[in-house]
Amino acid sequence: MYDKKAVRRRRAALAGFVALSLVILTAYFGESAGGFFHALQRGAQEAFAPIETGASKALKPVRDFFDWAGDSIDAKDQNEQLKEEVERLRSELAQAQTRRRDVRQLRGLVGLQRQEGFPEGTEPVAARVIARSPNVWYSSLKIDKGSGDGIRLNQPVIAATSDPSRRGPVGGLAGKVTRVTGGTAEVTLLTDGSSGVAAQIMPAGAAGVVKPEVGNPRDLLLDFVEGGKRVTEGTIVVTSGFKASRVESLFPRGIPIGEVTRVDLDEVELYQRVHIRPFADFRRIDMVQVLTRKPPAAETADVVTP
Amino acid sequence: MILSPGALLRVGLLLLVALVLQLSVLSQIHIVGGQADLVVLVVAAVAYYAGSVSGCATGFAAGFLLDLATGATMGASSLVLTAVGYGVGRLREVRDPSHGLLPIPVAAAATAGWVVAFAAVSFMLDIGARVSPLVIRDMVVTVLLNALLALPVFAGCRRLLRPSLVRDPLEARRRLRPPREAGPIGLRGMEV
Repeated sequence: MYDKKAVRRRRAALAGFVALSLVILTAYFGESAGGFFHALQRGAQEAFAPIETGASKALKPVRDFFDWAGDSIDAKDQNEQLKEEVERLRSELAQAQTRRRDVRQLRGLVGLQRQEGFPEGTEPVAARVIARSPNVWYSSLKIDKGSGDGIRLNQPVIAATSDPSRRGPVGGLAGKVTRVTGGTAEVTLLTDGSSGVAAQIMPAGAAGVVKPEVGNPRDLLLDFVEGGKRVTEGTIVVTSGFKASRVESLFPRGIPIGEVTRVDLDEVELYQRVHIRPFADFRRIDMVQVLTRKPPAAETADVVTP
Repeated sequence: MILSPGALLRVGLLLLVALVLQLSVLSQIHIVGGQADLVVLVVAAVAYYAGSVSGCATGFAAGFLLDLATGATMGASSLVLTAVGYGVGRLREVRDPSHGLLPIPVAAAATAGWVVAFAAVSFMLDIGARVSPLVIRDMVVTVLLNALLALPVFAGCRRLLRPSLVRDPLEARRRLRPPREAGPIGLRGMEV
């Protein structure tokens, strides 16, 4: 025999908690960024920050142990790869020295004195990652620097690659600051489902929007690249830093994002889809830099579509 | 579960420790692309030992804390973990399982339910981007890792919750066993 009172109590508890969850969900979506639940989240994150910082530091040996175990398994393969890499680099070095001479001469001809790559005057602030989102649907991490260190909303964040043997820039755009407290900040990564960055392929200049492929942090998609533009594998994609009459990109022009690995050519579509391998290693970010200042206006392009 | 301030404190501390460990350690250890999920394991363990009402309350609280700490959409985790806690609790109440290895399939099922349902909720709410098939691999790895962690986590939760449990499933199983034979002076091996 079952107890009717217990059954009623059980059902009421389930219905109550489900209803409460739905109410919170609805209210969260309905309110503005300054609403009750958003403020509650900010407060909770500020309260959790010291605990997370302490736990992150105290338990770093545990993480290091697992990383070491994983690295040991990969070491043999890496050894072979690195030997091949050394051979390849030796031949490339000889080619590069020849090219360097050529470039010096060409530079003199066209007056190219600007340094390629990273935008200047951005005042980077280094920060340590103290926590990260536990699932692939919300790709974010928390850093141990906040508004007290000059960090503000929407500032770009860069991270290094974990593979120093790779060609191209040693790091790239990782995301942007989406929430700031006094001593911490939350960074939404490029791999988050909601992110999108205006970018262009260098040196061809084909522009598009970099979006993630949720669940695959080693592959970003550059969408809305015009079908007629020729895109080749291995070329570098950087932020376009577009500036139209009323709209301006959050990211300054020239921050490397990744390199082109594949192009989906669909004759039916007007646009082509370009796959990018990001320079930042989203799975192993321990340190990041927040670019706390925008470069001078000359660093941004006038208008870049889309 | 006997609802007392001590029991609430124990469950609250358990959830906090699980959350901090999850965010600071487990989320940063990737094994074959996936990661263990301690929060859902703790919710399943509490529901397994304490029943459906405590299970869904713990699930709600765990989801609420998780959303607060990670900045994810408030209410989404609570909704799914409430259902997970209730489901595991009902399994215990209806089937009255007592096998020592049962936490492994229970943890695997609870984790599978959590990752699939949370993916569905997230997908319905605010994921506008394309989803890679690798997500499925990560989900499977999470389920397997949680199945591996199930026995120690469930044992730890049981030890912590034991003073507040109305009825311990493992204790009940022990009582059902026939007493072992003993000799006339109460020593085993001295049977006449």
